[in-house]
Amino acid sequence: MKLPDAQRAVLEAASANEARSIDRLTAEADLPDPTVVGATFTLEEEGLVTLTERVETDATLTEEGREYADTELPELALHEAVVAAGGETDLGSAIDEAGLNGPQVDIALSNFSRKGYGTIDSGQISAAPDANPTDDPERLALAALADGEPIDDESVLDGLAGRNLVAREETTVREVTLTDDGVTALMEGIETTDTVGALTPEMLTTGEWRDADFAAYNVEADAERAQAGRLHPLRRTAERVTDVLVGMGFEEMDGPHADAEFWINDCLFMPQDHPARTHWDQFTLADPDAIDDLPDELVAGVEHAHREGVGPDGDGYHSPWSADVARRLSLRGHTTSLSARHLAGVATGELEPPQRLFSVEKVYRNDTLDATHLLEFFQIEGLVMAEDLSVRDLMGTFTEFYAQFGITDLEFKPTYNPYTEPSFELFGEHPTTGELVEIGNSGLFRPEMLDPLGVDCDVMAWGLALERLLMLTHGFEDIRDVHGTLVDLDFLRNAEVVY
Amino acid sequence: MPVVDVDPDELRRFTGHGEKGDDELLDDLFELGLEFEGETEDGLFQLEFEADRLDRLSVEGVARSLRYQYGDDSGVYVPSTNDADWTIEVDESVPDERPYVTGAVIRGLDLDAAGLDSLIQLQEKLHATMGRGRAKGAIGIHDLTMLKGRSRVEGGENSISYRGIDPDGESFVPLDSNDELTPAEVLTDHPIGETYAPLLDGYERYPAIYDDLGLFSFPPVINGRRTEVNTGSRELFVELTGTDQWTIDRMCTIICYALDARGATIERVSVEYPDRTLDRPDFETDEKTVTHRRIERALGIDVDEREVIDLLERAGLDAESDGEADALSYRVSIPPYRTDVLHPVDVIDDIGRAYGFNRLEPEYPDVSTVGGRHERSRHERAIRETLVGLGFEDLLNFHLIGESVNFDRMGLSPADDALGAAEPATIAEPYSRDYETVRTWALPSLLMVLENNTHRRYPQELAEVGLAAHVDSDENTNVAEERRVAGVLARTDASYEDVKGRLASLARAFDVELATPATDHPSFIEGRVASVVLDGEHAGVVGELHPETLVEHGLEVPVVGFELRADALR
Repeated sequence: MKLPDAQRAVLEAASANEARSIDRLTAEADLPDPTVVGATFTLEEEGLVTLTERVETDATLTEEGREYADTELPELALHEAVVAAGGETDLGSAIDEAGLNGPQVDIALSNFSRKGYGTIDSGQISAAPDANPTDDPERLALAALADGEPIDDESVLDGLAGRNLVAREETTVREVTLTDDGVTALMEGIETTDTVGALTPEMLTTGEWRDADFAAYNVEADAERAQAGRLHPLRRTAERVTDVLVGMGFEEMDGPHADAEFWINDCLFMPQDHPARTHWDQFTLADPDAIDDLPDELVAGVEHAHREGVGPDGDGYHSPWSADVARRLSLRGHTTSLSARHLAGVATGELEPPQRLFSVEKVYRNDTLDATHLLEFFQIEGLVMAEDLSVRDLMGTFTEFYAQFGITDLEFKPTYNPYTEPSFELFGEHPTTGELVEIGNSGLFRPEMLDPLGVDCDVMAWGLALERLLMLTHGFEDIRDVHGTLVDLDFLRNAEVVY
Repeated sequence: MPVVDVDPDELRRFTGHGEKGDDELLDDLFELGLEFEGETEDGLFQLEFEADRLDRLSVEGVARSLRYQYGDDSGVYVPSTNDADWTIEVDESVPDERPYVTGAVIRGLDLDAAGLDSLIQLQEKLHATMGRGRAKGAIGIHDLTMLKGRSRVEGGENSISYRGIDPDGESFVPLDSNDELTPAEVLTDHPIGETYAPLLDGYERYPAIYDDLGLFSFPPVINGRRTEVNTGSRELFVELTGTDQWTIDRMCTIICYALDARGATIERVSVEYPDRTLDRPDFETDEKTVTHRRIERALGIDVDEREVIDLLERAGLDAESDGEADALSYRVSIPPYRTDVLHPVDVIDDIGRAYGFNRLEPEYPDVSTVGGRHERSRHERAIRETLVGLGFEDLLNFHLIGESVNFDRMGLSPADDALGAAEPATIAEPYSRDYETVRTWALPSLLMVLENNTHRRYPQELAEVGLAAHVDSDENTNVAEERRVAGVLARTDASYEDVKGRLASLARAFDVELATPATDHPSFIEGRVASVVLDGEHAGVVGELHPETLVEHGLEVPVVGFELRADALR
């Protein structure tokens, strides 16, 4: 019979007459434990050995047990002191004489009486004349355990374990016995097969590999996880949104983060004294505080829309308007500023319909920082520009977009935005919790926005926080874990890749 | 968005739908766009409103909208008014900063406690919204029986006068006080006065309203105690002052509509400016013309003329059609409490709401366009992919940063001649010191991530492609915005050679030639820092971070890193 080296060694170390433990085989075969275990399982499968399991109880001395083994059990020390004092004395001096203190006093007293070493009465202690401390079973057992000898008397062990002098531990011992086939195989003689550990370049060039028998690895054993570079989960989501939008025919916009309020608010028909303009609590810049130039004609048109409205029976706002406010710089509170720049033709030149434009970019809001609000976050901004667009086109576009992220059954709740009419908040069902959550804001841009920008067709647009989409699709609860310098590297290293 | 407390019992009373349970009402309100936020201790609904429908800031207005929704009412309603018996005379002395006034007289009112609360709430909500915190418009409501009118001419009408007075020129007992105070004293000694004092900054003369007995209202701050309204008040004088006549007239209209709904009679007042006289309140309807074609186009529906008129009336508007077929249009009357209808599109929105937007079938627009990414975003993606391939964790940090984190903690000063040293764009009113400027470079953010992750497994190899900015007067916005590529290697055996090796690989990937001549940078160890020169252009810095920088960030392993302009990899 041909067997690998390890299996032969195990077979030779085993006996037909005596069950031998794996530990013993490991010692005799002089091989690592996992190798022996592995070889044993293989031999058992081949019917050459039997493997049995036995539960063994091991008793070892606790720290306290060892102390008494080295000195004396407290009750015996007490007995000795009483005998030395003539067989009877007062309790206090006996305790002192026996050198007992702390909890040992109680231990000594209770066991002294229990084991019949004497009696205690009214502060007097006397030794029983027939006591035989030398043969105290607990004392003998402690001494034996200290010498590494086994104890057979279970009741004594129970007593010692009850006194916390002995700790008992159950271990499973695997034992191996040769089967008849195993004996036969040994008698017929076993050849060792040549196994190869590592495949070497030399083996490949010489062709030695052709005769090699590769040692089997434990392919189930754990390996240390490799650390790889990964794309940030939020970035990955942004990339996916970008893929979807590009696939739907949208072209990406780019533009400044720090911009004039003209582009951020005034072009969006936000009155300069509108509560939203303060409630949004934009990040106004102190340094620098204004843009150098705005297109004069555009500024005049926007101011006119604010003051007088657009169209023969249009009304404007009854609010102050000044070009100084329009020139004020701010970090953009939404990327609709990019839409305004593009529609005005200052970003990429005059736009002719049809157009689909988008961006997935940072916006900044002076909000309260909490689990669902960040001071800066990504906004998905999209617009469609065409000759004739209806509310139904808007609904159709969003239905397609959100379906790509598993969000279906959209609800469109009419709402108010200064720069769109009609306007809708979008609600969708959370893919896992089933609850209805707000997933975006949308509408048809108002004539008061489009007319000054020189757009004379329809434009529909929408915005959505990317982080909200990520929370919906990943089920994250605290957005601060994801975005920013407080990020936990373990989170980045373990986040599931979503595609 | 404003939140208004509404008593469900009052809502049932004003809608005439006593049979509706709370849940049913809440469903109806949601349809209207009013979201239930919770209940007050007294069981009032807290409803969140959209900022456009200011006529719904009280239970009366909400009930009016519900009655239209239920079909109980239709078309425009305008309350009838009685002729003016009172005049508001506007004196030449009125402060230039607050020249406008308007008002109305209310008679035959029966106010219970709930009604009084509702009136006070409406006043507060109008102050907060249209009134812009009382700056643009402020409302004073008085018990008319406590006013003594004075006629300028024998046998003339009762009048009060709006004037500008010396801040200490008169004294009166304001609400919630027992002391006679001058307006100037109110601003310093009365809690409400302190709150609104900033509104009068820079005023030489203070606004004041007088009757025959003296000053009884100090707008926009506080009324006098003499004319205080209580549940026994049957007749009211409502006055509003502000910076815009239209705004205060509309605020007045909304209050009059609410009190009309409570069964009161509205009596006009005559507002006499030196150069003109106004008859107020102004309940004139506005008109918008909207074409049938535009309605169908915007909503994507086919409707007939009768249906459009029906929908408009259900929205509380009136309409007359004009023309036929392609020329069919509607002249739509808008009631005066609607402050939000600026353009025919707003009428179309009302039609859509009455029709039910959720009845519309989504339709993918039949518009063909070609999609694509911006060159910058393709470039950034390519850099990110390369960095990830080199083993870096991709990071996404905030662009806002504390100035000390950006400079001091890196051992850098804005005046240094080194990468990252520049004047930062600064926020006027930062949320906290942690977010007060836009970062001028990216490495401080990476160091912060290392600092927050010292308990995590090393090596830590991090990179970011992101924005950095600084003040630059050559730019139109005066801010130069740049994309930066930054990376750090933090581990016990991190070496300059490691980081330069990664950098060389990055340069190779983008086919640019890397040179690293020695340089100085205060964040790095002298002699272990180089300029990153790509195709002969200075693009950034690479080196071993200074122990001072590391200790400052609580790091116990060496860190090597680089930062360069993404542009240089083009």
